Parts: sequence; C-alpha cells; structure tokens
Amino acid sequence: MRWVSGILGLALLGSVMYAAEPTFSDSQRNWWAFKPVAKAAVPAVRNQTWVKTPIDAFVLAGLEAKNLAPNPPADRRTLLRRVSIDLTGLPPTEDEIQQFLNDKSPGAWDRQIDRLLASPRYGERWARHWLDVARYADSNGFKADETRPNIWRYRDYVIKAFNDDKPYDRFVREQIAGDELYPGDPEALVAMGFNRHWIDETNAAGLRTRRQETLDDITNTTGATFLGMTVACARCHDHKYDPITHKDYYRLQAFFANTSYGDGPLPVGDPVERAKYEEQKKTWEEKTKDIRAEMAAILEPLRKSKVEGGIKTFEDEVQEAILMDPSKRNPFQQMMWHTASSRLTFDEEPDARTLRTLKGDSGTRYAELKKQLAAFDSIRPAPRPIGQFMIDISAEAPPVYTLKNGNWQNAGDEVKPGFLSILAPGDAVITRPAGMNSTGRRSALAAWLTDPANPLPARVMVNRIWQHHFGRGIVATPGDFGRTGTKPTHPELLDYLAARFVEDGWSIKKMHRLILLSNAYQESSASQPAGAKADPDGKLLWRFPRQRIDAEALRDSMLFVSGQLNPKMGGPGVFPPVPAGVLSELSATAAAGGWQTEKDPAQMNRRSVYIFVRRNLRYPMLQEFDSANTFESAHTRSNTVTPAQALDLLNSDLMSQWARSFAGRVLNETGAQAIPAKQIARAFNLAYGREATAEELETAAAFLGEQTKILESRFASDDKAKPPMPDKVPAGMPPARAAAFVDLSQMLLASNEFLYVN
Amino acid sequence: MAHTKSHHWRVANRREFFTQAGSGLAAMALASLMAEDAAAAVDPLDPKPPHVSPRAKAVIFCFMEGGPSHVDLFDPKPALEKYIGQQVPASFHPETLGVTGFGTNKNGLMPSKRVFKQHGQSGLWISDWLPSIAEHADDLAVIRSCQSDAVNHVGGVCEMNTGDILAGRPSLGAWVTYGLGSAKRNLPTFVVMQDDKEILGGVQNYGSGFLPATYQGTLFRGGSTPILNLNPQAGTIDAQARRRLDFLKELNTRFSLDKQDDSELDARTRSYELAFQMQSAAPEAVDLSGESEATKKLYGMDEPETSVYGANCLMARRLVERGVRFVEVYSGSGSRWDAHSDLASNHTQNCKSSDKPVAGLLADLKSRGMLKDTLVVWGGEFGRTPFFQGALNEKAGRDHNPWGFTMFMAGGGVKGGQTIGSTDELGLRAEDEPHHIWDIHASILYLLGLDHLKTTFMHNGRAERPTRTGGNLITKLWA
Repeated sequence: MRWVSGILGLALLGSVMYAAEPTFSDSQRNWWAFKPVAKAAVPAVRNQTWVKTPIDAFVLAGLEAKNLAPNPPADRRTLLRRVSIDLTGLPPTEDEIQQFLNDKSPGAWDRQIDRLLASPRYGERWARHWLDVARYADSNGFKADETRPNIWRYRDYVIKAFNDDKPYDRFVREQIAGDELYPGDPEALVAMGFNRHWIDETNAAGLRTRRQETLDDITNTTGATFLGMTVACARCHDHKYDPITHKDYYRLQAFFANTSYGDGPLPVGDPVERAKYEEQKKTWEEKTKDIRAEMAAILEPLRKSKVEGGIKTFEDEVQEAILMDPSKRNPFQQMMWHTASSRLTFDEEPDARTLRTLKGDSGTRYAELKKQLAAFDSIRPAPRPIGQFMIDISAEAPPVYTLKNGNWQNAGDEVKPGFLSILAPGDAVITRPAGMNSTGRRSALAAWLTDPANPLPARVMVNRIWQHHFGRGIVATPGDFGRTGTKPTHPELLDYLAARFVEDGWSIKKMHRLILLSNAYQESSASQPAGAKADPDGKLLWRFPRQRIDAEALRDSMLFVSGQLNPKMGGPGVFPPVPAGVLSELSATAAAGGWQTEKDPAQMNRRSVYIFVRRNLRYPMLQEFDSANTFESAHTRSNTVTPAQALDLLNSDLMSQWARSFAGRVLNETGAQAIPAKQIARAFNLAYGREATAEELETAAAFLGEQTKILESRFASDDKAKPPMPDKVPAGMPPARAAAFVDLSQMLLASNEFLYVN
Repeated sequence: MAHTKSHHWRVANRREFFTQAGSGLAAMALASLMAEDAAAAVDPLDPKPPHVSPRAKAVIFCFMEGGPSHVDLFDPKPALEKYIGQQVPASFHPETLGVTGFGTNKNGLMPSKRVFKQHGQSGLWISDWLPSIAEHADDLAVIRSCQSDAVNHVGGVCEMNTGDILAGRPSLGAWVTYGLGSAKRNLPTFVVMQDDKEILGGVQNYGSGFLPATYQGTLFRGGSTPILNLNPQAGTIDAQARRRLDFLKELNTRFSLDKQDDSELDARTRSYELAFQMQSAAPEAVDLSGESEATKKLYGMDEPETSVYGANCLMARRLVERGVRFVEVYSGSGSRWDAHSDLASNHTQNCKSSDKPVAGLLADLKSRGMLKDTLVVWGGEFGRTPFFQGALNEKAGRDHNPWGFTMFMAGGGVKGGQTIGSTDELGLRAEDEPHHIWDIHASILYLLGLDHLKTTFMHNGRAERPTRTGGNLITKLWA
C-alpha cells in the first residue's frame, strides 16, 4: 500500500495503514524537518545597529517583515536576574548585582555569562532539563516501585557533562552505545543509564508483555529525544501523519533487541589501576575457590526453589526457556532468562530470611565457610561502585518482528536494524565490536544520531537549548518535529543554529553564549501596542517572554534567599520532609524503601535536582508546580495556576519554615534596633534583587504595623498556640513585631515578582 | 491589550487551545482558520458546553478495589456444580487464557456457595452477600460482560481509571474535568476517597497524565482538613491570615501595574482568593455534623463495620450537591477485595462494609431527587475466576478474572432493572455483548454529555482520547 499524504491521509483516520515497501511522496520528503540543514545567509535588515549577533538579524528580519520593532533592552538588574535564574536556577546575590552594576567597561555582560556558565550550579540547572527528556527516576514505577539504588550516578553524570561542556555528539554516543564505543570507561557505562529508566513491573505475571513494554519505552524515548519524532505512533500501524512506517518502528527497535539490565560493578577507569584490580581479584578468587564452591553447593537448593517459585505465572515458552539447559538457549531464550533473572536469582547470597531456611548441618557449615571466606577479606580488592545501566547481553540478538497493533502475539515480518527509511532506507550496516560480547547494533545507531548529515539531531538539540532560554522553542513542540507538531517560527534561524552547533564542535556552552549575547535575549519583557496587536503571543520576539520560574528553581531560590540552601553536589537522592498525610499513602511502597525522611536538616535543604525521584510519590511541592511526569519523556512542562499552588505558598510547612529563616536572616542582619523601613528595604533587596520604592516601603510599613497590632492581641490572649516566629529573634524585639515580619517575608516569597522572571 | 478572561497554563490563546484540544483533522483546520483571530485567553476550568444533551451532572464511582467475585454476587453459574473440581473443559479453550494472576488456570472449577435470588419487579439476580443493594434492583443496570486487559491489580486499577494498564494516561475524572470544566470553583472538580490503604498504583489513578495538572483529582484526606495545606499554619489567626493575603494582593497589584496585558499574573492573584474560599468550603463539605441521625443511619454510620465507607458515601453525596462532578469512593482501597484465599470470609467482610453504604447512597440520592442526574457506578478492576485458588475447601479463594466480570450503574439517566450481556456457562469469559473498559468509559462520558471521540487532546502527535483506540457506547444503558 502506498503512502497517502496530505488531506487525504488525514481523512483516513479510521483506517489502519501498513506500508509494505514505503514510497514517500514529495510533500513528505520536502517536509521541513527532513530537508538537509542549510545554513542560510544572515538576512539583511534595516536597523543594522540592533544586530549584535547573527541571531538578531534573523529575529529582526521577522519583526521588520511585520513592521514591528524589538523592545529596548531590559535594565541591568532585570537582566542579571533573568540570566542567573536561566543558567543556574538561582537569583543573583547582592554582591553579584553590585559588581555588574559597577562594571562600566565593555564586555560586562559577556563576563557575567562566562561567570555563570563556569558555576557548578549551571550543570545542576541544565541537567534537570535533560533529565525530563530522559524520564529519569530513582524507582521502577508500578505497584512495588522499588528503589533503583544506583541510578543516581546517571543524574550526576548528566550534571557533570553539562558542567564540563561535553560535546553533545559524544554525550549522545555515550548514552546510546557508551559500553561498545568506550569500553572500560566507567563514565560511559553510567551514561548507559539513559535507556535504563524504563518503568518496570518486576513482578509482572507475563514476561513477554513486560519485555515488549520495555523495548517500546526505549524505542519511543530514543525517537522523541534525539530525532524529535513521535515514532511511538508507528507502534501499532504506519504513522498517520508522518512518513514513519510500522516497519521503521521495529527497525529502530531492533537496535535494542539484545539489550537488558547491565547493573553491576563499574570498571576501573585507569588502565594501570584496572590491571592491578583484576590481578588482585584473580588472586582472591583462586585462593577462595574451594570455599566458594562449597558455599554455592549448599545454596543450590535455595537457588532452585527460587527459580521454581518465581516462574509460575510466566508463559509456557518462557518457563521452558528458563528451565532448559543454559548452553542450549537460543538468543530469544537467553533474553527471557535474563529478563526474568532479577526475580529468580540472587547474587552471592540470598536475603537473610531465605538464608535462615538453611537448617541443620548445612546451615552450620555455611556459617563456618562464611567465616573462612572472611579471613581472605584483607586480600580481596575493595568493592567497586555499582552502576545501573543497559547493555547487550550477548553478541547474538533475538529476531525482531513487526507487531500488529503493537501486540507481541501478532508477529509479522522479521526486520533488521534500520533508521527512518525516509532518511536512510535499507538495513543499517552493523559491525560487531572486536573482543566484546555485544552486537554492535547501537554503535551504528549512535553514529547515525550524531551524523551531521542527519537533519534531525542538531536541530532538535539547539531547539531544546533555545526553548529553555526563551520559554518556548523555535519549534514549540520539541519532541515533535512532524506534522502534528508546530512549525518553526524562525526556520532559517533554526538551521543557522544547528549548523553553528556542529561547526562549534557540538558545544552546548558556545550555543548558550551565542544566544545570550544577542540583543534578542536582552530585550525587556514590557508590552508594546504594535507587537501585542500584530503578534499577541510574542512568537516573533518583539519582547522577551515573561515566565514563571519552574518548580525546582522556585524551591531552590526560596531556600537560597532564606539562607538555607546547601550547595553540596552529587550522591544518592535525598528525602526532604513531605506534608503530613502524604507518607501514609505510600504504604504500598514502604517495604521497597518508601520515603525515609532525612534526619540531617542540611540534607533537607539540598538542591531540588538531588531530591529522590520516586515515581509513585513525586515530591509534592515540585509536582504542584508542574515538575515532569517521570513515566515517559517530558519535552515541555505544563504551566498551571491552581488554588493548590496558592494553598501551598500560603500554608505549607515548608513555606513557613523558609519565611521564618528569611525573616530571621533580615532581622538579624539589620539589627533589632533598625527602623522598619530599613528591615523592609533589606527584605525587598534579598527577595527581588532591587531597592524598594518609597511607595512600597510605605505599604509594607503599614502592613507591618497593622499585622503587629493583630498579633499583639494574639500574644496577649490565653491561647497557647503561637504564630510562626523567625528562626532567631533579635534580642529586644517584641514578639508580635517579629511574627509580623515572618508574614511579610512569606508574602514576598509568594508574590508574583518572586515567582516570575521578567 | 486587556483580556477579560485569564489563561492558566501554557496554552496562551484560543488558537493554541484548539490546536491541542480539538480532534485531529478538525483541530488542524481550526488552527489555520483561526490564525488571524485575535487572542482570546481561555481559562481551562471554565464550564464548557457538552457535545450531547447530558443525562447526568455528576458521577459517584464506588470502586471495589481488588476484584469482587461476579460469580458469587451478580452472575449465578449453576453449571459450575456439574464441573466441580474439574479443570476448565477443552471446549472453553483454557489454553488461550495465557497468563493468570497467580498461575491457577489449571485448577478445578468451584461453584458458588451463595444463595442467589431474583429481586424487585425486574427480577435481577443478586446473591445474599448484597441484601441492601438488592433492594434497589429496579434501579440497577447490571453489566455482566465487562472486560479488562489486566491480569494484575496495578494494571487493572490503572486501566479502570485511565483506560490503559500502563500508568501515565489521564484518568477518567481528569478527562471529565477537562471536557466539561468546573461547575463550582471553591471545591475541586474531581475528588477521590480511600477507606483503607493507598490505592494500588497511587496517584497515577487520579492523575492528569499528559493533560495539564489543573485537571488532576484531589485525594481527600480524613478529618476536617481534606485538602493538603488547607489550614493556615498552627497558631495563625483569621485576621492575620486575611491581612497577610491583602498585603500579597497589594504586592501583586503593584507588580502588574505596567503588565496589564499579562492575564496569567492576574489569574495567579485571583487563585489566592479561590484558595481562601476553599479553606472554608472544603471543611464545610466534609463536615457531617449537620446531617440527621436518620441519614447517617441510612448509610450505616451507626455500625462499626459500615461507618467508614458509609461516611465516605455520605461525603460523596454532599460533594455532588455542592457541584463536584466526579467522586471516586474506594471500598477496600489497597486491594482488600483480593480474595486469593478464603473468599468466604474476605467477601463476607467486604460486602458487609460496603453493601449498606452503597444502598444508603442510592436511597438518599433518590429521596433528594438527585439520583436522576447523579450516575452511581459500582465495580472493581476485574472479577474472579470460576476456578479455585489454594485448595477446593472452605478456605478456597479465586484468582483474577479480567475476561468477564460484572459492574452496575444506577441513576444519571440509566434505565434500571436490566441485565446487559452475559458470560459463558462458567462465568469465565464475556460471551454476549462483551464490553471492554473503554465501552464503560465511553458510556459514562456519554451520560455526562461528552462524546468520547470528540474529547481529545493533542499529545506527542496524536489526538489522544479517553478510550485510546476503542470505545463503543452501551446504548442499552439509557435506550
């Protein structure tokens, strides 16, 4: 069947199409996203003086075509707040503001950008954007939602990659085929955590369904992340809008046909150290060989019963694969065994409860042997850090078939690994990597995903960068460059940036600089009648779009301003307190780790990117403010305004705590004897990064006076419950005044000026 | 330019709204037709016109979590007597069942020990486990041929709520909120209540999936403060909270002075007023002290076994009275109906705790004239197998049965006193008029005035709808 394009294709909504041999129409081939990246000449514009970087010429050309003019630049305070929150997720400090205001020499703005890009806070901020796309989470999802105890290394890898300005092509290669392309490099193996974030029902009754769902997740995520294509639509049938065939979906999936969990010790990076480690390990293994063999023999019945107990609900063919002679398993049977093994096996030793079932002599003997083994601990190499990642389980992949309606029971034709056939028809050329137990399939995919001739990857990534600077991509649907997505507002600019990205060695920081130095980025966000009339959404960028700061930046900024933020980087996810009542709802997952609230307050005040991401309990405040759903790639976030957010900002324990710290900070810095105006001015300065106006001082002072009176009556009453007080009340300050200042502080943090970037 | 209305999320104007909210082709056509239209912001919770004339204003979904046994409650299978202890006969193709929840498909068949009788004018079959509900037989439309795709609970509960066994899609309540907007703004539009542990799968069951978070369900917590962060900090007094809010308004108004065009800022300023109203409206809605003793008794609140679920059902009625559109009331939340062993005592307890409250709800709605436009739905995520689990004795249980099971609907325009569809002789599979969960969802939406095919949202290149790729209306429900 031929591809039917355009309106006719759209009209065939009800029918399901399968292309045997795809032939694509001209309109499909000429779809903008599939055309080669063409670095257009920088357009000529009337107002040449406005053009600071080529970006400005492209933006201005669009504006001038509609007889619009860009806004004048924002003032320096606004600009510094804008770029600080943009690059680091935190507002600037007073010193940083003063330094910028006082820097009258040329290049002052450039220096601020360089300073912020060099800050480790930058990686923490921009990694979060990538983690949304990677559907990063610290747990499996589903009912049990077990903790993934070592997946946080992937999060730290992403933070480091951004801070190090790892070239994007290398970043992609490491995440798709780091195991094959950079053997022995622990970082590249951690990067393979990218496709280890699938949601997983480890106790699923059917193994084949579970396996297929994993493959679908990987295929969908890879297609949307690197290609900006909704390949998932082709899982059941040919894509109804884009030239992606049903077969293409499974061609893409075939690159991953032999992948599964590779969780385990990370290699030693340095070759000399690695050799030393291997040597030491070998010696230990030789000396303990007999002891370990006897221990294994004792455990054998437990192993067997674990297998037999675990497979009952599996499909017959899967049970057969698991119970057969391992040496006779074909690749499919190997995959079934491997997929099931996390549920059917234990590493060296089963859990303590199972171990206790060893009775009588064997129990005693096992304990003895364990003691004997421990005697060799001094020569045993220190255990390696454990990683969670995905690898090929062998050099031979099981066959992949097209699956009608996405159902593994409806297998169609067998397919070989291949790319989107509209861009690269035919099977991919696969070279098995020498000396490795791997297929080499993903290396071929990684090469295509970083090939400058592939029109999609560079466009997709520069669009994501643009999206986070301006709040909206040049293509507003960053995960969908197809017909159901939106078209680029500035197609030539997108191509220019994509080309520059590759020319600049895929450097993300260079791309930031290019964008941030433009006048377009520095425009004020004020409205102007002509722009509002001709382009109400501001798509042409006659102004900088005002944006609410995202969930993580909101929490981090509040912690920062209240003087509580703990800048410690990296490590396992942390568990700050959650509102009362939420934890009891987590009962089902309590056994799997649940939410063990930190005891150390400093740990509670880590940056949001380090908060444990439990799929069944997104951190409530972050969720309230639209943090990403972790069940699939999130390319954009919603931007909601809800009463629940208002309740959070008005009444939550967290807000109260931050307000008390913030108030304590201001009152102690200004001193108990300071006049209210001085305290208010200080609070405004810390919260908004600017001086309060005379009128604001007056309004705030009036509030402070009235609220103090209300609270005085409170303190005079018999009621024992006291209102929230500043962390440290300066000596000599009346309690009602101190409590009133907490309210003032909290309202500043809750106000729109704090929540929005101008 | 000044907007009269505000927008609440990333959809900035009508054009974009339709691009995402319209259905496939129509959306694209609209998007281009409206390209020259001036921006008119849309409040995503504004009431929206229904697609068809609505029969129901609200839904109360009594969710029996864990899987009630249809062959012991609504679907008598005398034939099981003759097969007792035998495996599913070859003529019923047991080999195509594939996987069962606990690998019991080779176990013997087990007849029900319950006494089934016909009830009401209509003569509906209901077992002695549900004596109070049986009194309302003539109001019930019993669907005996329901089908799900899930062999386990998390997938099953998820599919009954979202139409998919995999978490991440919008729940039915979220679609309803999206499709119809909010009738009353000082309470959430979609409320969920648990009577025991966390619903398996948790928040995903009432989440908004890819719809904006505005549409997600709100889990009501026990006690007088059902909503998270509803109460001001301990020690705060009303006058203080009010003055604080006024100061916040002053700050926000000043900030907006030179930003009059930004309706989002305005919406945020107003959201505080709404939150403030909710602080009094929500506790009032869950405060049962004003209800008469007779009403409380009707719901079984005077008996220890029924007091918890009875109170939740009564709260559901109060919420619906106050404009809430979709209430889910879980019985045995955390899978308490899951009778893998000792079905007898499990279902005795669960039926006891829910029968009178559900019946009380039907009676109360009826006496208040609310039943005619309030749809009550009863059911679990699946039913239970006709073969036993464990051993064939008094402690026997039954495994999960997604291939055929029973739900019922009442009120909200539903024609009572009828049985729809059937299972096979064993109660194993739906036979006549099988109805997938998508059919159930499509029909609930229809009764509320929504065409499931038109209730769409553009997501990752697809005009997504509540019923994914299926959904046939069960027209017998109202025809």
